[in-house]
Amino acid sequence: MTAAELLQAIAQVTWLAIGAVEIARAVRRPTRTTIDIALFFGAIALVTVEGRLVALAELPYEDLVRATTLVIVIALPYLLLRVTRDFTTVAMPIVRVVELGLVASVILIATFGTTVLAATLYVVVYFAAVAIYCAARAVTLAGSSYGVTRRRMGAVAAGSYFLGMAILIAGIALVAPGLAGVTAALTQICTVGSAISYAIGFTPPNELRKYWQLPELRAFLSRAAALPRATMDEIVDDLSEVAGRALGARSTIAVWDEAHRVLRFRDTVGAVPPEVGPSTFLSWRVFEGQRSLYVPDASAANPANAELYRSAGVGPVLIAPITAGERRLGVLEVFASREPIFEEDDLAFVELMAQQAAVIMEGRKLIDEAARARAVEEAARIKEDFVSAAAHDLKTPLTTIVAQAQLLERRAAREGRTAELTGIQRLVRETTQLSRLVEELLDASRLERGALPIQPEPGDLAAIAREVTARERAGADRIQIVSNGTVAGMYDPERIRQLIDNLVENALKYSPAEDPIEVRVWSEDSTARLSVTDHGIGIPPEDMPHVFERFRRGSNVDHRKFGGIGLGLYICHGIVEQHGGRVWVESAPGRGTVFHVTFPVSAARERPASDATMVAS
Amino acid sequence: MGTVTRQAAILAVDDDPSILDLLTDILTGEGYRVLPAQNGAEALRVLEGDRPCLVLLDMRMPTLDGWGFASAMRDRGLKLPVVVVTAAENARAWAQEIGADAYLAKPFQLKDLLRVVERFCPPSGDRSGSAGFAY
Repeated sequence: MTAAELLQAIAQVTWLAIGAVEIARAVRRPTRTTIDIALFFGAIALVTVEGRLVALAELPYEDLVRATTLVIVIALPYLLLRVTRDFTTVAMPIVRVVELGLVASVILIATFGTTVLAATLYVVVYFAAVAIYCAARAVTLAGSSYGVTRRRMGAVAAGSYFLGMAILIAGIALVAPGLAGVTAALTQICTVGSAISYAIGFTPPNELRKYWQLPELRAFLSRAAALPRATMDEIVDDLSEVAGRALGARSTIAVWDEAHRVLRFRDTVGAVPPEVGPSTFLSWRVFEGQRSLYVPDASAANPANAELYRSAGVGPVLIAPITAGERRLGVLEVFASREPIFEEDDLAFVELMAQQAAVIMEGRKLIDEAARARAVEEAARIKEDFVSAAAHDLKTPLTTIVAQAQLLERRAAREGRTAELTGIQRLVRETTQLSRLVEELLDASRLERGALPIQPEPGDLAAIAREVTARERAGADRIQIVSNGTVAGMYDPERIRQLIDNLVENALKYSPAEDPIEVRVWSEDSTARLSVTDHGIGIPPEDMPHVFERFRRGSNVDHRKFGGIGLGLYICHGIVEQHGGRVWVESAPGRGTVFHVTFPVSAARERPASDATMVAS
Repeated sequence: MGTVTRQAAILAVDDDPSILDLLTDILTGEGYRVLPAQNGAEALRVLEGDRPCLVLLDMRMPTLDGWGFASAMRDRGLKLPVVVVTAAENARAWAQEIGADAYLAKPFQLKDLLRVVERFCPPSGDRSGSAGFAY
């Protein structure tokens, strides 16, 4: 096989392959564009087959075959123009000229056949002119396109250019037979160039497509790297701009608004309302179905809103869902004014960009959420710091007031000034209550900051309980303590005193004046146990889950009659937790309440305490 | 709580004058002689001429704070019962740090103050109060 023969074989195989692929595509999805492309390449493939057959053997209907080939070759420029018109605009006068030229070709060839050189030359020049014009249009189109389309259009332009050149050189061969050797080789080269260029343009291998997508994708991703610093609106604007530019079309992103359950468009290009809820809108369909969509004509796909699409000049639409894992974030929508030249590439690219957009938007969202959480934390810390500082500053003047009031009380009692004594006792009671509140606020704020200090040391829970219950207080005679032997463990004596005192005070406060309060301390299953039982008003079932929360007070408690701000049990819970123990409550409204506390005997704070469980009886 | 027969002295160290006045008022009423000092340095000067049975010591003070006072006392070989009286939340830890004998958290109860004073300065005048960390 000579080099010329090899070139010829390559060209022929390529033409046949493109023809087969494009005819298959047109059968699968018959649109004006696919049919035009199939006609053009089908015609070339047919001419190739005929030429090959004629060369191989004497055919019975050789004249007929030659005639068919001639007709097809004459029609090819017109078919090429049709394909070009499907991609881009061609001025009407030019269409008319080409049509007239076609008619002229037919008449000339029908009249003179290929015997008259002038007629043949006319056909050749006509063909070459149309092919080169189409190549020029494709170059213009490539120039205004982006990404894969730009490359593919460039290849198509090259294909048309080579085709025109091949025909032109064949024409030169007719007028200058002396150059036959050179012209034949050049024609061959141009034919192969044309076939390969068209193959790359119309049926590019996937690897090549991916390679072509790279620069756009890289540009998109390098933008993405800077985006987390931008606001979500800026990100959305930027992404839709980049997506539109990558496809040479208009693009918009709708963000899912969870609170209002609508898709919110930043920029609607006039085709859809700013907000889209459940509806026939294509964006909604894609969002709901989570499958990307290409429609060649939005008006036809969504007749209910056809007017809207038409007035916005929207024809074909490409939409892909922007979804990060399970989180549906929105949709990316690309509007074109005419059918995309290579819609499968464009849809794949829109999907790819939607995936990237999802990653970026999700990242932004997470950063926002983290920032919000930090702000809330910071606000809480400032509040706690303030409470802590304020409570601490209250302590110094309180020291003087409390002790001075108690001194006055002591002297009035000693000197038998009963008239003053009642008033002074009221003063003592209230200042004591005030200093208790300040202590509670401080402890609660320490707990909130996770900084309630405990200093465990070996001790006896029963001894501490006895000491607390023996304290002088109103109603002290109602307290019965039940304990047998020592209940050894690691306790912060101060905090455990505070715990028991709180529970006892609560029991006294919320039970009738004559009813007993039982405090039990015992060891069981290598845990230290404590319970405080009253027979008072109890806790309503709806309050049970909140007993140990901050600022919680029983819904059945008369707040004017019983003082307190609802921190006592919260602090108790914190103290028990710091000791690695558990606290829970059993209660029946009207029958009384039991608070249970357990501590591990081995060591305090050995492991984090599980949440206190509340058991309703 | 009876009145002490011999006038035992108590050194009260606090930068807050109203606390000093209060302590003076309370303890004088109980028959003690109160030696007031507004900071550690003043307290050390008081100790040059007097020998109290107890030091009531605030911790955060200007010039010389509780820690400085305690170490200066140690350096001079002065062995006196010290009770830390502070509004800080780590009263107990601080008391342990400086080797104090007890601590009293502000705001304190009058009876707690009197109990701790009586422990170190008993009305009989016997100063050998129980040793060890208590309260």
